[in-house]
Amino acid sequence: MPTTASPALIEALQRAVGSQHVLHAPEDLIAYEYDATIDRARPDAVLFPATAEQVAAVVRAANQYDVPVIPRGSGTGLSGGTVPVKGGVVVALTRMNRIVEVDAVNRVAVVEPGVVNLQLQEALAPLRLAWAPDPSSQRICTVGGNIANNSGGPHTLAHGSTVNHVLGLEVVVSDGRVINLGGRVLDAPGIDLRGLFVGSEGTLGIVTQATIRLVPAAPDVRTMLAIFDSVDEASAAVSAIIRNGVIPVALEMLDQEIIKLVEPRIHAGYPLDAGAVLLIEVEGLSEGVAVEADAVIEACRACGAREVRSADTQPARDKLWEGRKVGIGAIGAAAPAFYLLDGVVPRTKLPQVMRRVLELSAQYGFKCANIFHAGDGNLHPNIMFDPQEEGATQRVLDLGGEIMRLCVDVGGSITGEHGIGLEKRSYMEWVFSPPDLAAMERVRLAFGSADRFNPCKILPGGHGCATGHADELARHIAKPGVYI
Amino acid sequence: MTSPTRLESLRHAVPSDVERSPSGFGIDAVEPALAFSPDDRNEVAALLRAADEAGVVVVPQGGRTALSLGRPLQRYDVALETRGLQRIVEYVPDDLTLTVEAGIHLEALQQTLREHGQYLPIDPPPDDHVSIGGLLATARSGAWRGHLPAARDLLLGAVVASPTGQLESSGGRVVKNVTGYDMHRMHTGALGAFGVIVEASFKVAPLPPVTRTLAARADTIAEAGALAMRLWNASLAARAISILAPETAERIGLEASPTVLIELAGLEVSVDRSTQIIREANPRADEPAGTPWERLRRLHGDRVAAVVRFGVPSSDVIGAIEAARGAGCIAWGHIASGAVIGHAPSLDAASVQRLRAHATERGGFLQLESGSRGLRAAVDPFGPGEVDLVRSLKARFDARGTLNRGRWMEGV
Ligand SMILES: Cc1cc2nc3c(=O)[nH]c(=O)nc-3n(C[C@H](O)[C@H](O)[C@H](O)COP(=O)(O)OP(=O)(O)OC[C@H]3O[C@@H](n4cnc5c(N)ncnc54)[C@H](O)[C@@H]3O)c2cc1C
Ligand SMILES: Cc1cc2nc3c(=O)[nH]c(=O)nc-3n(C[C@H](O)[C@H](O)[C@H](O)COP(=O)(O)OP(=O)(O)OC[C@H]3O[C@@H](n4cnc5c(N)ncnc54)[C@H](O)[C@@H]3O)c2cc1C
Repeated sequence: MPTTASPALIEALQRAVGSQHVLHAPEDLIAYEYDATIDRARPDAVLFPATAEQVAAVVRAANQYDVPVIPRGSGTGLSGGTVPVKGGVVVALTRMNRIVEVDAVNRVAVVEPGVVNLQLQEALAPLRLAWAPDPSSQRICTVGGNIANNSGGPHTLAHGSTVNHVLGLEVVVSDGRVINLGGRVLDAPGIDLRGLFVGSEGTLGIVTQATIRLVPAAPDVRTMLAIFDSVDEASAAVSAIIRNGVIPVALEMLDQEIIKLVEPRIHAGYPLDAGAVLLIEVEGLSEGVAVEADAVIEACRACGAREVRSADTQPARDKLWEGRKVGIGAIGAAAPAFYLLDGVVPRTKLPQVMRRVLELSAQYGFKCANIFHAGDGNLHPNIMFDPQEEGATQRVLDLGGEIMRLCVDVGGSITGEHGIGLEKRSYMEWVFSPPDLAAMERVRLAFGSADRFNPCKILPGGHGCATGHADELARHIAKPGVYI
Repeated sequence: MTSPTRLESLRHAVPSDVERSPSGFGIDAVEPALAFSPDDRNEVAALLRAADEAGVVVVPQGGRTALSLGRPLQRYDVALETRGLQRIVEYVPDDLTLTVEAGIHLEALQQTLREHGQYLPIDPPPDDHVSIGGLLATARSGAWRGHLPAARDLLLGAVVASPTGQLESSGGRVVKNVTGYDMHRMHTGALGAFGVIVEASFKVAPLPPVTRTLAARADTIAEAGALAMRLWNASLAARAISILAPETAERIGLEASPTVLIELAGLEVSVDRSTQIIREANPRADEPAGTPWERLRRLHGDRVAAVVRFGVPSSDVIGAIEAARGAGCIAWGHIASGAVIGHAPSLDAASVQRLRAHATERGGFLQLESGSRGLRAAVDPFGPGEVDLVRSLKARFDARGTLNRGRWMEGV
């Protein structure tokens, strides 16, 4: 790993973006060694470009000096996606944070990649519009990060992942060209390079501007809290609701561990003795909302819900949602460390899988708190542990591996929204065959970016990336404190 | 012409009962030298490998309803019919997920789904036998787009046979998944440029309990446009809100007035309330007789006529309809997706270019969805776009140009 960058490279970078926007002193680089995982590696420099042309100049300089380029938003990624494994230049897009245009009539906005998700939402709210992706990290994460990770959130159930909401992208590719993919209108003709790019985790190029689709606010929204004695019953209810033909706009589960952590902080009225609660939201014309809410309540009751509460005013709804929003932070405050897993299973497999997740955690002797996108079958077990305890880290990783394996074995997958990054690349072989992976590698090659952009991410192997599986995994525990 | 010996190796790649007579597989009046209808994906892969080695060009085809989409083929040696791949691999109604082989016809699939109160929300012409593979490879859409997701957004994963004979999968069968590159998105809309789709997984939707069509007549097209915009913003339980020019309305069996045609779909209470909102906005709105949607779809799917599709911002739909009428088209538009379809017995290249300029000046695009061979050779059916990356992908995924050569550009 390079220790200090060559002066010539630094000079070239300073010429590209202005010397005040380049960090290269070792002490300044520390904050850019990692994201929300504890994985770390030292970049050669961190730069803060202001325009696509500057980003292109940086890429050309990186080509000249043959160093990797790692795009970075707010660094909230949970899979080590921004860790500069082989050193190189971290391109932080936080200065490119303008909302360039909002065309409310046509429900389109043009934004720079560094716009923070929540800032965008706040700008859109008065227009009764929203950017559909609503990750729980929305207070800090960027639109560029959302696009690169094809992020989701509670409302992904209704609206789909980020890719469904990206119309066009301006990107800088490996030869330093600034190109446009997609357009300003749905379904631009041509090969769907836009769709291929979204979710490519910074490995194919750098997004410098995005044209996005906005969703309108519904006239009526109802949020419900269904209270169950067990995770088992709550899981069964998830499947029952969807089977009945009602697809809520959000359907989230919080288990007892989470309830016990969040309720004392926020007083939303989650019963402390509940085994699990479901947060369920339906929206639309009020007549339909009432009927759908009744169907949801009935399905929950049939699965053993103790009580279903409804909120239809904004403050009451916000209160119910608050528990969901502060959940991960509460875990961070309660345990010396925790490992946030992200896996997906078919919804009908939820009861069986959740049972097994809890069993496995108990077997390994860890507390596991679950707060997740149940409607999409997207699990987030959070394994709490003390890294000081002898062997604990290794056992957490083993448990994480077992849970991922379980997801794959029931027909699911190893990430629903956090991405593969560095964390899960060695699990890719559980899901894909060598020819599948070879085809993916060809995409990288076609973009000319095998080593230029974010090397050692997504695909296993790679020149100079190799650390053993266990070794690689050993560094992927979420850092305490980063969430809050 | 290809030498017979080079083609002979394809015959050895698969059982002889898979071969078909090439007549009936013509495209733009060119007949292939050989035709095959493999029974499974391994045979597809074997044929592709043999073709790749022999240096001949293969054209996969399903329902053959969209073979005039794209530039004329540069060469056409072998027809590969996908009809033998028609199994439902997995259908879990309670998960609303479905995995099928790519040769299955949409209608056959819908029938199975309907038995469970579900459907794949895609609306090609009702009498077309479209295959799932063709549907993905063309990635077109109709009136529902914008209200409902497009095929590309319903697709959860796919298995593709590569020209070198590998079976490559991406995505999965779960409704949310970001594992690896979304290769299936690259194949969606690629007109088979990079591989032959052999299997696809989808999320399906519950059938709406109630559907209802309303036609609201206006005095002018501009007025119809304003009404459509207003209804689009009224959160109706709508699956389609389309604007018809008077001659278009007449053509599909309605009164010859500028018309907003709306399809409501959802719970009965929501459909009733939506009907009320529409009537408040336009007291003349009523339920039309006949089958206007079917007839509109058929017009869109017309393989003989010239058909253009604009994509423009919703507020420019009216302008695009007028432009298309000016060029002699029957025209209509879908407010949510900004798609405007122009249909004419024939169009010349200059008119298509003019219409394209109209669209691009407004931040949109124009695609030629169907047209004579000559027209498709004279104007790029797709319009300007990124070329270098497409060539680079083609070089990596189909280095020898075995699949559908020339559909996109010289060699691709
Ligand atoms: C408490 C917490 C809760 C979270 N909840 C969710 C959730 O509900 N749903 C969810 O999906 N995720 C969630 N995440 C993960 C993370 O917040 C998202 O993936 C987010 O979209 C990342 O945005 P970022 O700006 O922080 O990106 P970063 O972490 O900076 O980068 C993420 C990846 O994107 C690449 N990248 C960033 N910007 C660009 C660009 N402009 N061009 C190209 N590549 C780029 C990077 O190289 C990296 O690979 C959560 C994280 C935390 C800490
Ligand atoms: C009004 C209207 C609405 C429509 N709505 C939709 C919609 O919402 N969503 C949608 O997706 N389609 C929609 N379509 C249908 C679409 O336009 C095509 O007509 C149809 O899907 C093509 O199927 P096919 O089997 O006839 O393909 P073919 O005509 O046989 O083939 C079309 C193209 O696809 C290639 N191809 C065929 N099979 C494969 C394969 N297995 N792998 C790779 N390439 C292949 C062929 O080489 C050819 O280039 C709509 C059409 C109309 C007119």
